[in-house]
Amino acid sequence: MKKDTINITIPSKPDYISVVRLTSSAIASNMGLNIEEIEDIKVSIAEACINAIDKSNQINVQFEIEKDKLIMKVDNVYQAKDDDTNQNKELELGILIIKSLMDKVNFSEKGVEMIKYIEDGNK
Amino acid sequence: MSLDINIKFNEDDSIWVVYPKGEIDIYTSPELKEVLTEALNEKNGDILIDGYNLDYIDSTGLGALISILKRVREKENKVYLTNIKPNIRKLFDITELDKVFIFKE
Repeated sequence: MKKDTINITIPSKPDYISVVRLTSSAIASNMGLNIEEIEDIKVSIAEACINAIDKSNQINVQFEIEKDKLIMKVDNVYQAKDDDTNQNKELELGILIIKSLMDKVNFSEKGVEMIKYIEDGNK
Repeated sequence: MSLDINIKFNEDDSIWVVYPKGEIDIYTSPELKEVLTEALNEKNGDILIDGYNLDYIDSTGLGALISILKRVREKENKVYLTNIKPNIRKLFDITELDKVFIFKE
């Protein structure tokens, strides 16, 4: 099965998260997703990048474009620890948003994998 | 990736009316927090955020609003939101923050 892959690496700074967001929007639009789905993808990828920030000098993002789904992988994204600091509360919100907006979310030691399925499989 | 914040105090209702224009994201949310904190330092009151020109918010923006809400509640004041776009309202619903902020139609 045909699979196209796009990799982006940005410096670990808030300034560049919008670059990833806009890229995700272009990719999702290319795949024929509707406006609401594109918005879900933009929000989710941004939340993943926010989570990854400050954990390394750079943020690695990978888009895998398949006929029936878009897979987005971001390194160094982890579920929040169980404490009550403000920063942790924000991380929890971010994870909750990702889980609500994406069809499937997997965490591993490396980071997160987020999947959005394309219902009609159009391209 | 930009945010303009217009803010003014309405004496009649004793409320800060805030018009954020653009995006409240990880890059701009510290600015929002600073502007609102300064306003509250000047004068305590309710806060109304008019989202007519607000296009986007992320978890750091929600976090900034939560910290302002905590501050406002100390004086038993409230934070109201109005004209919030559906894509932004969706995030308040997901995170159940629709229950702690007051949405005005």
